[in-house]
Amino acid sequence: MARIDSDPLTGPVAAPSLIDAADATVDLTAAAAVGEAPTEILAQSMGEYLHIWWQRVRGGESGVLPVVLGLVIVGVAFQIANGHFLSPQNLVNIFEQSSIYILLAMAEIFALLLGEIDLSVGLVMGLGAVVVVELVQPSGSATCLLCPHGLGFPAWLAIGVTLLICAGVGLIQGSLVARLKMPSFIVTLGGWLILEGVALIVLNGVPVSLKNVTVPAQVQISNIFWGYFSPTISWILLAVVLVIVAAAWWFRDASRRRRGLVAPPPSFTAIKIASVAVAGAVVVGLCNVNRAHFGVIEGLPYIIVIVLAVLFVWTMLLQRTRFGRYVYAIGGNPEAARRAGVSLISIRTWCFVLASLTAGIAGVLFASWQQFLSTNIIKSSNAYVLLAVAAAVIGGTSLFGGRGKTLHGVLGGLIIGAIYNGLYLMGVSSEWVDILIAIVLLAAGTIDVLSRGGSRSRA
Amino acid sequence: MTGIQGDLKPGAPGETAAEVPQDVDLTAAAADAAAAAVPLEIVAQSLGEYLRGWWQKLKSGDSGLLPVLVAMVIVAGAFEILTPENAYLRPSNLVYIFGLSTVYMVLAMGEIVVLLLGELDLSIGAVALMGGTIAYKLVQQPSPNWPWWLAILTSLVCCGVIGALQGTLVARLRIPAFVVTLAGFLLFTGMLVVILGGADGSLSVSSADPNQSVFYNLVQGSIDPVVSWVILAVVVVGFGTMMWMRASGRRRSGLVAPPASLTAIKIGLMAVVGVAVLVICTVNRGGVFATIEGLPWVIPVVIVILGLWTVLLQRTRFGRYVYAIGGNPEAARRAGVNLAGIRTWCFVLCSATAGFAGILLGSFYYGQYSTNVGDPGQLVLYSVAASVIGGTSLFGGRGKPIHGVLGGLLIGGIAYGVSLMNLGSLSIPLEYILPGAVLLLAVLVDVLSRRGARTGSVIRV
Repeated sequence: MARIDSDPLTGPVAAPSLIDAADATVDLTAAAAVGEAPTEILAQSMGEYLHIWWQRVRGGESGVLPVVLGLVIVGVAFQIANGHFLSPQNLVNIFEQSSIYILLAMAEIFALLLGEIDLSVGLVMGLGAVVVVELVQPSGSATCLLCPHGLGFPAWLAIGVTLLICAGVGLIQGSLVARLKMPSFIVTLGGWLILEGVALIVLNGVPVSLKNVTVPAQVQISNIFWGYFSPTISWILLAVVLVIVAAAWWFRDASRRRRGLVAPPPSFTAIKIASVAVAGAVVVGLCNVNRAHFGVIEGLPYIIVIVLAVLFVWTMLLQRTRFGRYVYAIGGNPEAARRAGVSLISIRTWCFVLASLTAGIAGVLFASWQQFLSTNIIKSSNAYVLLAVAAAVIGGTSLFGGRGKTLHGVLGGLIIGAIYNGLYLMGVSSEWVDILIAIVLLAAGTIDVLSRGGSRSRA
Repeated sequence: MTGIQGDLKPGAPGETAAEVPQDVDLTAAAADAAAAAVPLEIVAQSLGEYLRGWWQKLKSGDSGLLPVLVAMVIVAGAFEILTPENAYLRPSNLVYIFGLSTVYMVLAMGEIVVLLLGELDLSIGAVALMGGTIAYKLVQQPSPNWPWWLAILTSLVCCGVIGALQGTLVARLRIPAFVVTLAGFLLFTGMLVVILGGADGSLSVSSADPNQSVFYNLVQGSIDPVVSWVILAVVVVGFGTMMWMRASGRRRSGLVAPPASLTAIKIGLMAVVGVAVLVICTVNRGGVFATIEGLPWVIPVVIVILGLWTVLLQRTRFGRYVYAIGGNPEAARRAGVNLAGIRTWCFVLCSATAGFAGILLGSFYYGQYSTNVGDPGQLVLYSVAASVIGGTSLFGGRGKPIHGVLGGLLIGGIAYGVSLMNLGSLSIPLEYILPGAVLLLAVLVDVLSRRGARTGSVIRV
């Protein structure tokens, strides 16, 4: 089982015994814990912490370091090639363009953590986009085969129904994988093909758009991608989030220290809070620069908030709940997880449901971004599947299961978005973009294998 | 590993028995044990026994070609009834379906070599288009204007090198084949556009030029009817004699051999199928204004590839090693099989086969080559689907090249049948949905049948 939790001592067994037991027990438990716990958790001072972190990086557990370095290299290289690359306007642009890759990679990570693969995420996104747009066509105008008179749903209902449908697709695929033990690769390949057909049927050959400004639902859905908070509200939002995050971290660590539990040194907590504050201020500052060629577009785009919210929820689910621990357990060793009493079937099924649900969110964003959907969506969805897997692996998620975080999807998606954007700015044609991304993917796969000890792990 | 080699001779006294009398019983006992382990259809002495053995095998989950053949009959029957004017089974349509399916068949035969290992190649669609583009580029006039055979050879070598690169990454570094070939998919799709000279670049060959016409004729050309019949006769007589001589030779030297009646039936079946194909092909399919009749070149081409891969996989040591790795890599490694070498070669063969499929693809589109001849993603999907539908297992160790041919025909048959029906706006979606559904069904059968099967790799947790 991979190291899922930065503080494994909060696990169901260790924590109560430390609190309630007599002194003798405490010593024993503490001694046992010292032997097993990752050493950087036990660090008592900042210097010690950094020292241990460096040891870990050298030992092959580099975490997000390679991908962050990759982002820096990509940023510097493209900035040299085109001075516009790192401008505030373009950075916001890159994030917006990457949001689809990011969400799809986060979806893919649910399957990858299990050691499975979901090739259908791209087409689930395509289906979601088509469905949500069809649902908000006003009465009497839509041409969808299934709803010939137009449903004219309000935005929230359309989005809800879309996400339900996408989750349903995941439920079917997950059941086939988990119950019938069909290989996920082939189930989702079949799903890919079938969903192409289904999306075409829903679209019924007639392009649909969100550009009718007299329909409130269409305006609202368009705003998901294109809308933004005003600069003042952006700062207020940042302040509120920062206060909550800082308080949560500080009080958690303080209470752990008070109760004698293992906790990072206070200086480290303070640095963590400060760095988040700086990062947040930089992001909001960049977003508040006017990025319109004509007129004024400034403020935090909704899309950044949405991506961060999804990241937060999925990170909590995977790293702070029993469900998440089971997911990592299955990915690490399914047989061991089964013997430990984990229900492989339900966890696997749920992961596919969550993957498709996340892909459905990406679908709504995609519709909002494109605003106009024709049968071309099939072709772009096909490309997105591969890029989603690439983003997850580039971000640092292992293909062998059991290793990876939702955050990896964000970083990997940003790399892919940045490469696309940078090459586009340089006027490079799309085929060279594909070639470069292939090379990055290969490099990520190689790093994944080498960091796992390479050839010794498999016959 | 499937029971391909039937060299065991249960119940026959060995030479050792004559020299050391006290060992006779032991040897005989061992032979009896071997007889119990050897599938009945291999040791069968009469036709009835053989059929019984075959039925036992079927019941135990090794259904072989039966499901795909049944599916083909059902699909053909259904479309014949459903299509307007019952046009589906017209000779001209059948020949067209074969041409349409060719690329899937050849791609699937390449994919099967890798699937047998328990690996997967997602790049073959892109590699196929690369191969076709390279070959078409080399015969362009006025330059480089290479002879057709050199162009094909160069293209196959280029694709083989691609396969060697991917295979090395998979076999030596043990990066998952899925990732390597996914990267290959992106990489070669990009390079394809570069070679074609932009996304709207195109190449073409003319049927009038003697050098280029070879490419044009690969799928579009036909052999004269009279010559077709002569070829069929030569092939049937040649193969029939070979099969008969081998079987009787085995019987003479006391080895296990199929009953004589079975050999006769096989030869007869081969002749009947050959005659049926030729009768269909020699009907004029050109319509009123032109005469197009005779065996399309593509049929012997596919049969030659099928023959090559079948012999390689089922009659050579290399082939046995491939099945051994697919069945259990660790066991194969301990038995001394060079895993990295065999795996790399399988990727080389797969990519080279894909390259040839690309050349055929251009010919199917009347010698026009552009990025529109095939979507690399769809080609991969269809070729994997064709292999699995044909009966090749995704888990390695079970499959034959013939599965690719039958699976490819089934997929092409479905795609063409759907396009013949007047379904209006449903016809394009169904071209995606039907192969997907068939794929899922085929894998379901694969998964369920493996639970009772003797061969192939184990089921996962």
